[in-house]
Amino acid sequence: MSRPDRTPFKIQRDVLYALLLLELSSRFGKSRGGFFWVLVEPVAHLLVPVMIFTFIRARLVPGVEYPVFLVYGFLPYLLFKAICLQIIDGTNAGQGLLAYRQVQLMDVFVAKALAHSVIYAVVFTVVLTGLGMLGYSVFPLRPIELGAVLFLTIGLAFGLGLLFAAISSLMPDARAAIKILFMPLYFASGILFPVTRFPDHWVQLLAINPVLHLVELSRVASVEGYQPMPYTSVVYPMGLTLLTLLIGLMLYRLRYLTKVTV
Amino acid sequence: MIRLDNVTKSYLTLRGRKVVFRDFSLDIPEGRNVGLIGRNGAGKSTLMRLISAVDFPDRGKITTTARLSWPVGLTGGLQKNLSGRDNVKFVCRVQGVRRTGIREKMRFVQEFAEIGDYFDQPVSTYSSGMRARLAFGLSMAFDFDYYLIDEVMSVGDANFKQKSREVFAERLQKSKVILVSHSMRRIRKMCEIVVHLDGGRATIYEDVLEGIRAYEAAGGVEGFPRPEDSVQLEEPKVDAADESAEAEERATAAAEAEARDEAAAARARRRARRRARAARRAAGGNA
Repeated sequence: MSRPDRTPFKIQRDVLYALLLLELSSRFGKSRGGFFWVLVEPVAHLLVPVMIFTFIRARLVPGVEYPVFLVYGFLPYLLFKAICLQIIDGTNAGQGLLAYRQVQLMDVFVAKALAHSVIYAVVFTVVLTGLGMLGYSVFPLRPIELGAVLFLTIGLAFGLGLLFAAISSLMPDARAAIKILFMPLYFASGILFPVTRFPDHWVQLLAINPVLHLVELSRVASVEGYQPMPYTSVVYPMGLTLLTLLIGLMLYRLRYLTKVTV
Repeated sequence: MIRLDNVTKSYLTLRGRKVVFRDFSLDIPEGRNVGLIGRNGAGKSTLMRLISAVDFPDRGKITTTARLSWPVGLTGGLQKNLSGRDNVKFVCRVQGVRRTGIREKMRFVQEFAEIGDYFDQPVSTYSSGMRARLAFGLSMAFDFDYYLIDEVMSVGDANFKQKSREVFAERLQKSKVILVSHSMRRIRKMCEIVVHLDGGRATIYEDVLEGIRAYEAAGGVEGFPRPEDSVQLEEPKVDAADESAEAEERATAAAEAEARDEAAAARARRRARRRARAARRAAGGNA
């Protein structure tokens, strides 16, 4: 029975629950051993540089254990990238779902962001536990601060995702160009080694990238004795998050994102 | 109750904004089967999308207290990377159905769609007929006050069609339908009132035949009137096979007409040539 007596709150909850399960099951059920492969991607991301740099014995980050440095850099980076790309693609992927009148595009976005937050929470817990068993001190220095940084990361990914989604639904060809932006992000976010190894005028340029700030903040919150790049700021990513969320949500309200093809 | 208040809806195209409705108001009378008719491009499907909340107006308000279905038999609502079973689960959850309810719906859809083992395969592996069966079964699994149907619902083989019609007839005991169709025969058979869309305005006709006449007067049959669509005729006795073929007939009608015109022209040309030849021969014989 469909229930006419559902309150708006209950409808919202039902829809998010349904979308969340849909997102998780389509991610895990896509191929054989779905969950295994979801785990493999970030683990491989971590293992390869750890092996290369640890065995070359380059002392990249003075006073800091390299794998731990790497993990707390990857965490916000991967989270940001996943959620941002999911929302950009969500306008297309979610189209079919909009046929059901209870489902709004924003529900699809929120469910995707939620699903990926859950996935990365599990993945990084597993990875950190693994490193911990190898004898590294993995437990974050200030867990609440780390939580706040990750929350900010999700917010920024959401805001920028909405903005990019609006641009790419107004100009479908821009989608490819936007995705290209993500390619240098890996190197511009100082994941593999601290950007402070670059000359100062480069660092000033790289500081435009908000993800770099989040990566540094995540490390500051988690790794004892970590020296972040000198321009690291909380205000910059926070302001950008508010700004992009504001513009993104405004464009959403004006229905620039809903190009219905059902 | 379904009410549209001063609704404006436009689409942004590469050649500027195309306005479908401007300050459009409509109050659809309650508890009646509604036929939505109008020429191509009159805004029938747009209106249907607005009513089913798939799309939203630029301005204005749409209010309803009735439970409305999603567009019946819409295969676009199926998630292709998920199995039929998971799709049913998803729709159940969205509709607020849990646990035992889901099992019950699952059994219904599974039995109705008759797609066998494919029910547990991803929808992307389905044939279009199988998708249509699943989508139609899914629509029929839930009780709504109104079922929204855009165009035809004749999918699958004769057997499946028969079954669809039976189930749908049963649903219509309690529920109503809002039907978009170019088939006046179906409109006459299923609807109690007609909403005629023309030039961004809607007129409600309490008398179906009157509505159909207005539609035809507005050139509604695409300049190719078919005798069975005309309201002067007696209601023809339709059998299942005839009914199913109708959709395709309608779709190809214009093409056929064109083809016929061309064939006629060709025949005329041939005849003229033959006559000319005969005349030449006759002239030659006399000389």
